[in-house]
Amino acid sequence: MLIEFEVIERARKGDDVSFNRIVVAYRKRILGTIARLIGRPEDVEDVGQEVFLRLYYSLDQLRTAEVFEPWLYRLTVNAAYDYMRRQRRRRESRMSDLSEQQVMMADASAGGKERQEEVRRTGIREFVQSLLGEVSEEDRALLILKEVEGLSLKELEQIYKVNENALKVRLFRARQRVLKAYEAGQLAADPKE
Amino acid sequence: MEHMERKLASLWSKYREACPDPEPSPEFMPELWQKIEARRQAAVSLLFRRWAEVCVMAAVALSLLVTTLLIPHSQRLPVYQSTYLDVLAAADSSEDAVVLPYGDLK
Repeated sequence: MLIEFEVIERARKGDDVSFNRIVVAYRKRILGTIARLIGRPEDVEDVGQEVFLRLYYSLDQLRTAEVFEPWLYRLTVNAAYDYMRRQRRRRESRMSDLSEQQVMMADASAGGKERQEEVRRTGIREFVQSLLGEVSEEDRALLILKEVEGLSLKELEQIYKVNENALKVRLFRARQRVLKAYEAGQLAADPKE
Repeated sequence: MEHMERKLASLWSKYREACPDPEPSPEFMPELWQKIEARRQAAVSLLFRRWAEVCVMAAVALSLLVTTLLIPHSQRLPVYQSTYLDVLAAADSSEDAVVLPYGDLK
């Protein structure tokens, strides 16, 4: 926990100062998770604000402060789903946005080494995002929370309110699909392999 | 297959590294509080709108009640027992008695 239970309790009772402390404590971590979930750096803050906005108006429904973190992750995943659904509807405009974003990134990085590093990172991000495009938004979020964020099955169980076995099955299937896409990508890149 | 799984595991960690936790911009908190305020105001105006809708519905229901129940009930008991012509005729007959010539009375 990044914050004491008392602060969460006070925020739950409507104390705005305590709520502010929660946001300050968790925002970086939540923004990071969102960045990895949605893969669009320019929209991360908007989605992050939506998460904390939902938190503000649903905090009174939180049963105990002990379940705060899974609750916050649940809100994060839901806000990311909503964003991804909206994005799917705007897929065509997304392509033009991406190229614009790449141009901006290339312009922003001044030094050669820095630029190369940024290009490498962008390449990894885009490659992983394309692999994750093979699975549904729900499975994509599940995979990222497990494989990238490093959450345990127990934590995922609390977030998704689904039993461990069901989660394992979903994870296995999603992983297999991504693996298949990865393999196909590798074969296309190097047909001799 | 195992080789691919290892490569995928390594790819996840590379992805983690390629997407570090971003630093929130200085506008993050002010914008968040603006959004909270905007939603609060929207909720208040929605509450007023609902309240106004309830009032309008109540007024409509009341007027329907008055037109369907109270007005026919009050119309069952007429204020005038006779028609306008009856009243006029009655008034005329009493006036006739006054204008009759004296000789005729005899």
